[in-house]
Amino acid sequence: MQKLFKNIKGDRLIWAIAALLAILSFLPVYSAASNLAYKGAGSSTFTFFVKHFVHLVLGFAIIYGVHKIPYRYFKGLSLVMIPVVLVLLCLTIFQGKTIDGANASRWIQIPFVGMSFQTSALAAVVLMVYVARYMSKIKDEIITFKGSILPLWMPVFLVLILILPANFSTAAIIFLMVVMLVFLGGYPLRYLAVIIGSGILVLTLFILTAKAFPDAMPNRVDTWMGRIDSFTNPGDSDAGYQIDKAKIAIATGGIQGVGPGKSMQKNFLPQSSSDFIFAIIIEEYGLIGGFVIMTLYLWFLFRIVIVAQKSDTIFGKLLVLGVGLPIVFQALINMAVAVELFPVTGQTLPLISSGGTSIWMTCLAIGIILSVSAKREEIKEKEISEENPLEILSEAI
Amino acid sequence: MAVNEKNILNRLYFIAGCMFIFGLAVVFKLLSIQFLQGDVYRAKATERVVKNDTIPANRGNVYSVNGNLLATSIPKYDIRLDALTSKAKTFEKYVKPLCDSLSKYSGKSSNKLEKDIRRARANRNRYFLLARNIGYSDYIRLRNFPLLNLGAFKGGLVVEQTTKREHPMGGIAQRTIGYERIDDKGNVTRPGIDGAFGVKYLRGVDGQRMKQQIGKGQWKPLSDANEIEPQDGYDVYTTIDVNIQDIAHHALLAQLEKYKADHGCVVVMETKTGEIRAISNLGRNKNGHYYERLNYAVGESHESGSTFKLMALAAAFEDKVTDTSDVVDTERGIISFYGKKVRDSKHGGYGKISVSKAFEVSSNTGIVKVIDQAYRKQPEKFVDRLYDMNLNNDLDLPIIGEPKPIIPDPRVKNGRWSGIALQWMAYGYGVSFTPLQTLTFYNAVANDGVMVKPRFLKEVKEFDKVIEPFEKEVINNQICSKETISKLQALLKNVVEKEHGTGHRLYSKNFSMAGKTGTCQKDYRDKEKLNYISSFAGYFPVENPKYSCIVVIHEPDKSVGYYGADVSGPVFKRVAQKIFTDTPIVDEVETLEVKMGAVEDEYQHYYKMSQKFKTIMPNLVGMPAMDALAFLENMQVDVKVKLDGNGIVKSQSVNKNTKLKNNQTVVLKAS
Repeated sequence: MQKLFKNIKGDRLIWAIAALLAILSFLPVYSAASNLAYKGAGSSTFTFFVKHFVHLVLGFAIIYGVHKIPYRYFKGLSLVMIPVVLVLLCLTIFQGKTIDGANASRWIQIPFVGMSFQTSALAAVVLMVYVARYMSKIKDEIITFKGSILPLWMPVFLVLILILPANFSTAAIIFLMVVMLVFLGGYPLRYLAVIIGSGILVLTLFILTAKAFPDAMPNRVDTWMGRIDSFTNPGDSDAGYQIDKAKIAIATGGIQGVGPGKSMQKNFLPQSSSDFIFAIIIEEYGLIGGFVIMTLYLWFLFRIVIVAQKSDTIFGKLLVLGVGLPIVFQALINMAVAVELFPVTGQTLPLISSGGTSIWMTCLAIGIILSVSAKREEIKEKEISEENPLEILSEAI
Repeated sequence: MAVNEKNILNRLYFIAGCMFIFGLAVVFKLLSIQFLQGDVYRAKATERVVKNDTIPANRGNVYSVNGNLLATSIPKYDIRLDALTSKAKTFEKYVKPLCDSLSKYSGKSSNKLEKDIRRARANRNRYFLLARNIGYSDYIRLRNFPLLNLGAFKGGLVVEQTTKREHPMGGIAQRTIGYERIDDKGNVTRPGIDGAFGVKYLRGVDGQRMKQQIGKGQWKPLSDANEIEPQDGYDVYTTIDVNIQDIAHHALLAQLEKYKADHGCVVVMETKTGEIRAISNLGRNKNGHYYERLNYAVGESHESGSTFKLMALAAAFEDKVTDTSDVVDTERGIISFYGKKVRDSKHGGYGKISVSKAFEVSSNTGIVKVIDQAYRKQPEKFVDRLYDMNLNNDLDLPIIGEPKPIIPDPRVKNGRWSGIALQWMAYGYGVSFTPLQTLTFYNAVANDGVMVKPRFLKEVKEFDKVIEPFEKEVINNQICSKETISKLQALLKNVVEKEHGTGHRLYSKNFSMAGKTGTCQKDYRDKEKLNYISSFAGYFPVENPKYSCIVVIHEPDKSVGYYGADVSGPVFKRVAQKIFTDTPIVDEVETLEVKMGAVEDEYQHYYKMSQKFKTIMPNLVGMPAMDALAFLENMQVDVKVKLDGNGIVKSQSVNKNTKLKNNQTVVLKAS
């Protein structure tokens, strides 16, 4: 154990925040699982507890493993991974899982392990690293719109288009994060406007096609419309029902909360252990619990800024921000949904919500951040002395 | 140069600032939900999730006196399908097998069912009816059908349980057994025993438990124990004897059908105890079928007609104003009072006859004259005498709807009394009793003057424990003197026994009956509507009466007949006769077995042979084939017998006196 702690590198506070979030996640997840267990999704609530525990242990193993990798390797890795991710996304989309006739194919089954995996989460991380690599690579050049289309926007749009039919909110968030990252990387604003415009155009085209030919492909356009509609006109829809329950949960929580495991709304909120866990946390632990969680994420944001500041390379900075900000952003979106500041999306609360993919990909991102913070001194020296094959690949393209 | 560290950081601060503001917005919204909208949502939280659930107590059963189940509550199930809840793959996989199973169950075509279920799914029907009102075993069967066996969440099985009151004996005594029904508006109808004792015994006490909602339509108890434990209802044992009830029911039904009567009733009551052994009320519906419609025996008061002559004479004998042997002039069958005429059914009257005979032939003029002469000056005395015999009291029955008897009283100004009230009362007009009230009086006569209250209940039990026994209730220990009673008994006996008696057609030398016919005009104020009520009240056997019985039949078809002796009498006789075959007077049975010499000889021969030949083949030639077969199969060795033909054995494959071995085959030829 002592040895393990000695081997832990990087920003200790980020480690601490991640650990705290993980530990705090147990009780709400355990509590919310009771409804799932009752509905027959698992044999007992304890199964969910163990599952969550395993997810987190694996997640921290990922953090540990990834933070040991010198971060410059990620440049090359992202190049290799982009095609892999595209293939995986294609596989996912053609697996054709539907929920009530709407496309919800977000998971693929990992052969032999018997677990399912949400490919879009992996795609997001890989894409952000890829974009960070590209932006850092061209840091000294004059950016032209034409020049950036093929190496930057092509992969981005390919990934997004594959995610879009099944998961609009994830696609939108990834898009927003990419835009944010290229903005940070100094991409000219006027080009960005064009990109955002074309993004909206593509989306509109997609929705129109889906509306015109509803049977052409399974999609969730109706669900999105329903959610947005119920956000703007609260009523008796499915999403309205969820929000209503979430608000009841928040209102009953009060300042101190009703106490661990005593949430009532967990029984009525679908996805109470993932999408709506923030509402459950507030119901059980009150405003105090909610503030603690909120503070942890904002503190995490603060630490990311610090790490970015201290990082010596542009790639390091962009990498940390590229994978770090989405975590905070996703957390904020999740909380915003629960308090009806945002229409219902399927975004989880990073590190707290149950669900393996979400936890692991968050851990992957944290591992990358820690790797940057750990290696910021050593990297410079090694950059000069060593020649890495992946790096050469990266430089060549 | 596109970027440097400094402008990255500047842009970063901008974005981080935005995120921080976003975070603050979340916090602000959170606070607003808690403190501004909080009350609304908190109210919503409690209003929906906790309820006080009633646990219905099991209603007790109603039994006959011999323990047959007359009314019981059984669970019934409605099975529905939430056609939407199952996943497409599951649905597709199981919908066909489900329809096949359903088709086997209901006989409907599987394709039609599949079409309907698919349409239900397309229409997003979450409440598609598969079967209504089915019993427990069928419910178990349906629950195991494909798709349904996946349960509520995966398969979409919806089960709704209700409790239905059933009468296992069918329509018999249905109206008296009754029911308790509460409609949507909370109005309660409770005819019969089930209704009468519903609140007190059968219903039990509902329990209560607090429940918390844990999902759509899912509730869990808040605590381990029920807030109030339900107490099941007690079982009620009636005095109804299913066999007698059955006899009465069918006897009445046959007669109603024969006379195309509107309705009628039979009540059989045990003389000593007042226990009602049978009570049958049949009315005709539009289609001319008879079924238990209303409890006529308890609830329908009508003018008695001639059956009241017994009460009239009882009063007169008791007051010693007349006697059986007094002679009365029936005056050619017509006497007038204030211009109103009393007529005898026999044209020209009976001449001068004894009071006794006047009763036996049911002479209206005779009886009216007796009463008129005796009480004209002081009709109150007559009325008081009737009162003394408890005739003005209702029976205070638990079954609701019993009207009070009507007896005109000169001292009561209710418009019933008139100058001819006394005379008309004498032969049963102006007075009104229910069949059960009349029977109670006749039963008192049979019971040597002890008037017992008719009873429907034997006891109330909780499993084997008697909660409340019901004892004989005496209304009047001696309604009149013994002397009067024996005179009345003689009169009733003579009605059947004497050849001139109106009830002589019922006479049977095998068993004795006593009773009085009654033929009462109904709606006599309008000749067009004139109709009859034919009745017969009496008891049997004459000595030591065991049962008293009344039969009242309303509005028989006049073209078929309407006299009490013709219409109601036969029902009485059939009931008496059938009960009697159950309880014969002579308890001796002659054996029907006659010993036949030839059979006996053969039997002896067979017995001797079976004693002699146990492992050695006997000579079976000449023996009946079936006997030979039986003989061989019962020997101590296992031989296989092949029999060719039938009749008498002509030859055997194994010679006589040969030792037989196990599994040896013996062939017998017979013709």
